[in-house]
Amino acid sequence: MSCEEVVRLLSDYIDGALAAGPRAEVEHHLATCHDCHVVLDTTQCTILLCRAARSRALEGERRRLLLDKLQKACRGCSEDRRPDGS
Amino acid sequence: MGASASVAPFLRGGHAQPREAGSSLSSGACSNGIVSGETNAAVPQRDELACLEAMRRGEPDCLGEFFEVWADRLYGLALRLLGDPAGAEDVVQEAFLKLMAGAARIEGRSRLATWLYRVVYNAAMDRLRESRREVPVPEETDEAALPAPAVLVDFRLTPEQMVHDAELREALEQAIDGLPATLRASFLLRDVEGLSTAEAAEAVGVTEANLKVRLHRARLLLRERLAAFVAARGDGGRTA
Repeated sequence: MSCEEVVRLLSDYIDGALAAGPRAEVEHHLATCHDCHVVLDTTQCTILLCRAARSRALEGERRRLLLDKLQKACRGCSEDRRPDGS
Repeated sequence: MGASASVAPFLRGGHAQPREAGSSLSSGACSNGIVSGETNAAVPQRDELACLEAMRRGEPDCLGEFFEVWADRLYGLALRLLGDPAGAEDVVQEAFLKLMAGAARIEGRSRLATWLYRVVYNAAMDRLRESRREVPVPEETDEAALPAPAVLVDFRLTPEQMVHDAELREALEQAIDGLPATLRASFLLRDVEGLSTAEAAEAVGVTEANLKVRLHRARLLLRERLAAFVAARGDGGRTA
């Protein structure tokens, strides 16, 4: 298996989505190819770092205002469902 | 500690480069086991399902709990797609209003996650198209056009060191923001939000095969940009 083929299959390998045959071929290549091993490791590092970096939260007053607005809208929906339309 | 960098004609020859004797597949900083996605969205939460049931009955009281579970996730995706906090808030509001209006048609938490992310993705992409900041791209099916790794550098940082490296995190944020929105969404849904390939594909409205190509392309592009940053810094990483 060439480096090009390994890179093509890298995401499937990382995700554990390769069948036994191709997986063994990828691992055999990785065991002997420093460059491909670096690409594998740094790709996994990148994914791990992205997962850990999830921190963009809706904060403070803006969060409260949005929830207030939605709760008012939700109450409005419930009132609309009343049979007498009141 | 120096980063061992090379910008080499990698892949051009198509043959394995010899590794150092004694190295193993688990020797890299992040190679201790395969990184798998699907970590977040697949875990059912009974309270959330009960909340959804209550919303189906038209009871608004549970909205706060539901908001706590989903607001940040939806906002985070919308903000990363739009880069605009006010626009991201509007998209989150739109998603919740649609949920309240259509809660009766959603079955189970997995379907709920897919549904919510799909609403956010579509709303954000509509806004990008309206503002002409995002040009629609054809379906990604051409694997031959995948970006070839060019910057080969050992990060030489433990996952913990990387997480606490402010410069590296900033470089990563810029790299994510620099991806085309379609790749960014596929990557965020699959690798950050933890949807399965099938769920992420449904959320962005493409086939699983297309999603996998987008995800692979996004991972390689992000890796390349992060590797270039580490190589340029030349010290293998600093801890903030």
